[in-house]
Amino acid sequence: MASLRSIAGAVVVVMFPVWASAADPAAAGRIKVVSGPVFIVRAAGTIQATAGQALFEADTLRTGADGRVGITLNDDTRISLGPGSEARLDQFVYAPADKRGSLVLKVVRGLIAYVSGRIAKLSPDGVKLETPNAIVGVRGTTLVLRVDAP
Amino acid sequence: MTRDRRLIVLLMSTACAGCLLAACAHPPVPVVRRPAGALVVLLPDPDDGVVGRAFVSNAAGTAELEGARASTGIVGSSAPSAVKPLDESQVQMVFGSALSSLPPRAHQFTLYFDFESDQLTAESRALLPQVVQAVKDTPFPDVAVIGHTDTTGSAASNVELGLRRANMVRQILLGTGLEGSLIEVTSHGEADLLVPTPDDTSEPRNRRVEISVR
Repeated sequence: MASLRSIAGAVVVVMFPVWASAADPAAAGRIKVVSGPVFIVRAAGTIQATAGQALFEADTLRTGADGRVGITLNDDTRISLGPGSEARLDQFVYAPADKRGSLVLKVVRGLIAYVSGRIAKLSPDGVKLETPNAIVGVRGTTLVLRVDAP
Repeated sequence: MTRDRRLIVLLMSTACAGCLLAACAHPPVPVVRRPAGALVVLLPDPDDGVVGRAFVSNAAGTAELEGARASTGIVGSSAPSAVKPLDESQVQMVFGSALSSLPPRAHQFTLYFDFESDQLTAESRALLPQVVQAVKDTPFPDVAVIGHTDTTGSAASNVELGLRRANMVRQILLGTGLEGSLIEVTSHGEADLLVPTPDDTSEPRNRRVEISVR
């Protein structure tokens, strides 16, 4: 039995790199719906958003005057932005094996819809939508907010 | 119309064109400035109608949103306003553009496995066409696959078994033409039981793979 276990351990070590490279572990979610001008702003620069693209922690989404975008995060949280909107994925931690998760979305301006995913169940205080003058703690499930920038 | 009046009209339209040109040359100056503010509305879940709860707070106070379309507003640094429900048409008028851009809900499946094995049970094998169809029906799909085991055997060997189960599902998903980079495979081993049991307990409902097609 002991030798069987060490074989099993060896299999885990050998397989780890295979599945670690199989997915993009750093991606927080993906863009699913795009219409009109939509941009992803990240440290490396601003790029046009297209459906299917990966989204990462610290990315900012920005929509033009007739742009809209919808994303699904890795915990099945769904977020959308209406026209003339901007929001930054300040924090995204989803580690269900460790029963940990947190999501902080900083809404700069515009219209946002949010439908909770697994993080809200895993960590009821873990979801925060920040606006310039208030913080929204969401205990599920669905919420919309409008931020009027000065 | 007299000749003089025609001249006045002409002069006025020229002046207006001048204004327009001037406006083009300089950045537009917003005439009305809304104070910084926010409107927050709690909604029933779009799929099952369940209404959750939310807290809106700043240094000046907190509002608790409970019930369908409960809303609060914040202007400047004032406390969130008293909670009042909006009606459906108001919500649609303000938020329709954002709501209509929400992606569809993820399809979730749980497949079960034979004891100590990465072979699906006959019942779960019969569900595979539904999983494949969900991938085909989803625009720009990506899939999360999490393998689980019961508590028979060591924790380490169960992480490995959960991974084998998840990878078996991954192979099936690859067969649909889905790119490998769009399939996220993980294993929780025996750490995330569907049915809580003591250690070293055979429990068919814990021998499973959870699939989220989104």
